[in-house]
Amino acid sequence: MSNSPSTPPSHSSRSVLHQGLIGAGALLLAGLLAFGALGISSEAGYAGVGPNFLPWVVAAALLCCGVLLLREARSGGYRALEEGSGAGRGHWPGFAWVSAGLLLNALLITTLGFILSCALCFVLAVRGLRSAEGRLDLSPRAWLRDAAIGIAIAAPVYWMFTQLLAISLPGLTGTGWL
Amino acid sequence: MDILNQLLAGFATAATPANLMWAFIGCVIGTAVGVLPGIGPAVAVAMLLPITTKVEPTASMIFFAGIYYGAMYGGSTTSILLNTPGESGSMVTAMEGNKMAKSGRAGAALATAAIGSFVAGTIATVVVTFFAPLLADYAVRLGPPEYFLLMVLAFTTVSAVLGKSTLRGMTALFIGLALGLVGIDQISGQARYTAGVPELMDGIEVVLIAVGLFAVGEALYNVLYEGRTVETRNALSRVHMTRQEWRRSWPAWLRATGIGIPFGAIPAGGSEIPTFLSYATEKKLSKHPQEFGTSGAIEGVAGPEAANNAAITATLIPLLTLGIPTSNTTAILLGAFQNYGIQPGPQLFDRNAALVWALIASMYIGNVMLLILNLPLVGLWVKLLKIPKAYLYAGILIFATLGVYGMRQSAFDLVLLYAIGLLGVLMRRYDFPTAPVVVGMILGPLAEAQMRNALSIGEGRWTVFLERPMSLTLLLVVLAVLVLPRLARRRARAAAPAG
Repeated sequence: MSNSPSTPPSHSSRSVLHQGLIGAGALLLAGLLAFGALGISSEAGYAGVGPNFLPWVVAAALLCCGVLLLREARSGGYRALEEGSGAGRGHWPGFAWVSAGLLLNALLITTLGFILSCALCFVLAVRGLRSAEGRLDLSPRAWLRDAAIGIAIAAPVYWMFTQLLAISLPGLTGTGWL
Repeated sequence: MDILNQLLAGFATAATPANLMWAFIGCVIGTAVGVLPGIGPAVAVAMLLPITTKVEPTASMIFFAGIYYGAMYGGSTTSILLNTPGESGSMVTAMEGNKMAKSGRAGAALATAAIGSFVAGTIATVVVTFFAPLLADYAVRLGPPEYFLLMVLAFTTVSAVLGKSTLRGMTALFIGLALGLVGIDQISGQARYTAGVPELMDGIEVVLIAVGLFAVGEALYNVLYEGRTVETRNALSRVHMTRQEWRRSWPAWLRATGIGIPFGAIPAGGSEIPTFLSYATEKKLSKHPQEFGTSGAIEGVAGPEAANNAAITATLIPLLTLGIPTSNTTAILLGAFQNYGIQPGPQLFDRNAALVWALIASMYIGNVMLLILNLPLVGLWVKLLKIPKAYLYAGILIFATLGVYGMRQSAFDLVLLYAIGLLGVLMRRYDFPTAPVVVGMILGPLAEAQMRNALSIGEGRWTVFLERPMSLTLLLVVLAVLVLPRLARRRARAAAPAG
């Protein structure tokens, strides 16, 4: 991640660029809300304000927040900022593992079923978290062990929901057990 | 006497074997959740919200309330034994509790925290018992303009007053309000910001936001930044207080309860301010000021811990009588009520009297259960701290999936969950408060409806908020809350160079 060209801060939460991007994000959100508000009717009834009133208020407020955040970022950084805890820089490979776990879970849950899909998410997330600790273990034994732990957590939860509480969760089979 | 009769009836409901079991499971899960770092009561309740589709309301509210205050007990264990507070209200406990544990008095710190929580929780429950029905009687007379301004007051305090930066608090609040806008407008029935996605017609579930921000966000933050953080654990000593420690603890418990309850009860809740206030009070009054910050003073654990529990219990007053949540967890409890089609508010004590009184009675029972769970069994809970971090966070992701998917059976929600998780990472990294997002998204639609109803009453005139004495007063309070701290700060700054 790049920082301001002159003095790279030691901690990423102090980065002028990052703080500026967050301000820009607020502006973008304000823009999207305003764009969406154009399509909402202003049919007001007795109240004098319709369903499009609050959307406009929120869009305007976020616009102000975005501008002010940008100004703070450019003039010495956010005020009274407490640096996010932990390392000054992100560990992106670990982040990629966990993200893959979560997104694959979303993709596969209806086909693989809750237990297997969650176990996969668990295994991938453990890879990521371990790699963040500098202890990434890609041996087949570790994969198997973590998969077993993942299933051991997901399966009882699944059974409790499907069998005991009768809340439907997707399964690989229609039995309610897997 | 009427209140006592109702309370007795409540005990009769709460003490049925099934409800006792729900309370007990809630307390156990709550304590576990409080002990485990990285997961708080808000997420735990959110993840278990799907049970509202099957379990009857009284049982599930007893269960959720058990989780809510169970987490407060468990949180103190973690903050005393680890150097990271389990939840935000335990921050101050962590300061003195850690010092005590380092000098070999972990057991006394744990005892004063648990017993103090019990004393404060029980006294606060008595206050809820007698005060909430009175407030409900009064609140029946409030109309939409007053409600709207009460909600504005809650927004202002949660975003502008409690955090470090008003700007970041306000940004968080408006993000929350924006999320709350998605879905069908309550009054006109018009769809807003659904972008043609059918899943968005029903709005975004509060479960998704809470679990995304706190559970998924926490896991992602951890993998990104905390991988190399090594936590040091303090050794546990026998859970026991000497006669002198008792003598030093109990005045602190009582003072702190007095400080905590009012802060929880006004719609400007939050337990950070009362815990800090209690800490400052104890430090000032203590006969052993040299122990504060060095070897650890027992008053510095007893006070904040009791203040925390008193404030947390008292936040149920605005939730039950006005329907106004002032913290993450009460916002999600409000979501739980809404799932049953119950709108907390002054009528709750009439329409759902059985539920409310069973809930209040279960709080007395739960406090006793928690004292037993936390004092003799504390060694058991400490074992939870041995779970490797990688397994803990990966396991949390399974429960996150369960909560979100179980709510609506939609894979789309899981993608949204990831996106909200990313938002959570950004907010935590750049020091944006998260409570305004959750409170804003759940209270936003209610506030909007009240505002439009109020304007209908005023036939479109905004002066309706000025014409009614109560709403005018509330408006002035909101302004005072916004302006006074600023003036005080400016004055302090002006006085600083001179003095």
